[in-house]
Amino acid sequence: MQATTTDVQIRQLDTVDLGAVTTIDEKITGRYRPDEWERRVGYYLRRDPDAALVAEVDSEVVGFMLGEVRSGEFGLEEPTGWIEVLGVDPDRRGGAIGQRLAEALLDHFRVEGATTVRTLVDETMEDIAGFFSSLGFEPAPLRPFVKAL
Amino acid sequence: MRTREARLPGNYHDAVVKWRDTFIPDYDFLMDNWEKHFPKEPRFKLCAFRELGICNEIECGDDVGKPKITCPSDLGPDRARHLLGAIRAQASTEFGSIQQHRLTLARAQEETDQVWVLRMMAEELRHGYQMLHLLLEDDWSSVSDQTGPDLVEEILSMQTGSHVLGAFNIDFDSFVDNIVFCALIDRVGKYQLAMQRVSAYKPMAESMPKMLREEAFHLATGVVPMRRWATEAAEGDVYISMEMLQKAINKWLPRGLEMFGDERGGGSNVRMGFKPMKNAEAQDQYRAEVGKLVDDLNMRYLRARLPELGRNEADKLMEEIETERSTRHGVGWEDLIHLSHPHFFRRRGVPAFTMVGFEGETFEALDDYTAHLRRHLPESYLAGRDFRDYLETLKQVAAGELSAVDASRRMPSLRRVGGSCPCSRSVRWVSEEPLPAAADQPAS
Ligand SMILES: CC(C)(COP(=O)(O)OP(=O)(O)OC[C@H]1O[C@@H](n2cnc3c(N)ncnc32)[C@H](O)[C@@H]1OP(=O)(O)O)[C@@H](O)C(=O)NCCC(=O)NCCS
Ligand SMILES: [Fe+2]
Ligand SMILES: [Fe+2]
Repeated sequence: MQATTTDVQIRQLDTVDLGAVTTIDEKITGRYRPDEWERRVGYYLRRDPDAALVAEVDSEVVGFMLGEVRSGEFGLEEPTGWIEVLGVDPDRRGGAIGQRLAEALLDHFRVEGATTVRTLVDETMEDIAGFFSSLGFEPAPLRPFVKAL
Repeated sequence: MRTREARLPGNYHDAVVKWRDTFIPDYDFLMDNWEKHFPKEPRFKLCAFRELGICNEIECGDDVGKPKITCPSDLGPDRARHLLGAIRAQASTEFGSIQQHRLTLARAQEETDQVWVLRMMAEELRHGYQMLHLLLEDDWSSVSDQTGPDLVEEILSMQTGSHVLGAFNIDFDSFVDNIVFCALIDRVGKYQLAMQRVSAYKPMAESMPKMLREEAFHLATGVVPMRRWATEAAEGDVYISMEMLQKAINKWLPRGLEMFGDERGGGSNVRMGFKPMKNAEAQDQYRAEVGKLVDDLNMRYLRARLPELGRNEADKLMEEIETERSTRHGVGWEDLIHLSHPHFFRRRGVPAFTMVGFEGETFEALDDYTAHLRRHLPESYLAGRDFRDYLETLKQVAAGELSAVDASRRMPSLRRVGGSCPCSRSVRWVSEEPLPAAADQPAS
């Protein structure tokens, strides 16, 4: 059954959700990385717990989105909301869960005084690019450069 | 998020700093190592934060929809007294927990755990400071004989033990207590703060958002090491076992449940617009959340014990072990952690002094129950004064010399209003006369 928008509850992530977040990641990537999620979630909860969100359907965590507002990076002076980590349970895809999470996070970014929201998308991951495009995100002129060390 | 930052007037600020120097002697260590552990995170600052732009209308109770109240004299005497009691209790809880954490902080095995606990202690100090700010910035003279400054002095001097009436101690026995306390007791704090976020008294509501953000970190300070310990236990670490975690949870969970107040109460808080939920409802949600934590620890343990299993296999195995109580691949039901029955080891509220066991079974004979408790509680705790006082009182109830209600009254209050006696090296939880909790009990 696909969740409709009204079934989805968005709330702040709590550390008791770590297991659920780890599971969603494992379903997506096939890797079990509990330590990695403890570290990441700890980081985001310290930075801005209001920007660490989960989506619930029938009291079950089915998606998460983590981010924060920063300024003064990459020459971007204005406060900018960054969506940095996200995942929706593959069994629940297409149920507007990602969209609901993004809406809630963007609302929070606005309250925090951000006027822009950014994210980095790996072009090979078409689902994420498609997802952000449909939310109205556009490719930005800022390009990441990398060099192997 | 727009916040207003405020400092207490000079001498009060200094008094809190002095208090900090006494009870958080490692504060400088925290600040010196801040960048190492929390790079790029704003440094801790001792001040009060008030969130601006919050809801202006009362969100629950009889006056829902009316403007929130900004001045104590507009609350009316009943509500003002109720709220004043809540602020004092909240303040002393914040200061009191620091005194508890201090005792075993040095016993942490990992520097990260220790620094996280230290940061949490500094933030608890800020929470106390925030409550003092409420007492000082507003004029309480119309509802209390004590002036704001009197109230603050009283709270900060609780360490002398001068206000302590019926005192008892719940000592931290090891660093396991620091961590389990954060995961379980700060979680009660999360509920209280979340409920008070809708407070009809606007300065209280404005004080909550920042405190709640900090509380999320306090919970992580508890949950993350517990998860790590579950893994280490699975890998055969000799210092930490699942049984140890189970017993520490058994020690604190009943106290956590009781901090919500009597199961029949909480109605007056809702009516007065201070909280949106009655005690029992909040308590149930809390227990379910601790249940999730326990499930999570078990899965972390199982997968560390049997790393070759995939997720689906692990889920299936867990279900079999839990439902059949069988041993599979060397992992048995008793290797896992379980939530005690809500009536287990209770001394306040509806099940106070009933002899209910870990799984909800009832005991007729005192000796059997005592032996049962001894099997389920940490060894070091059994020798302490808290457990001895409880047993002593239970004995009188069992002998019919004391009613459960009177026995409960005799037990130290759920809301800590006393400080620590510096010489006793322990925190005192006391029952003091004008408690907000009293107004909630029983059915209100
Ligand atoms: C991208 C993702 C968040 C989308 O979640 P979702 O709940 O399925 O998305 P929604 O149902 O809210 O869809 C919102 C919009 O995005 C679009 N969208 C979602 N997935 C898409 C895809 N694969 N391709 C193109 N568009 C897509 C939807 O069509 C919808 O657009 P519409 O409103 O115009 O119809 C989810 O697929 C995901 O978690 N992907 C993997 C993320 C990942 O790899 N994380 C690694 C761990 S950090
Ligand atoms: Fe606190
Ligand atoms: Fe806390």
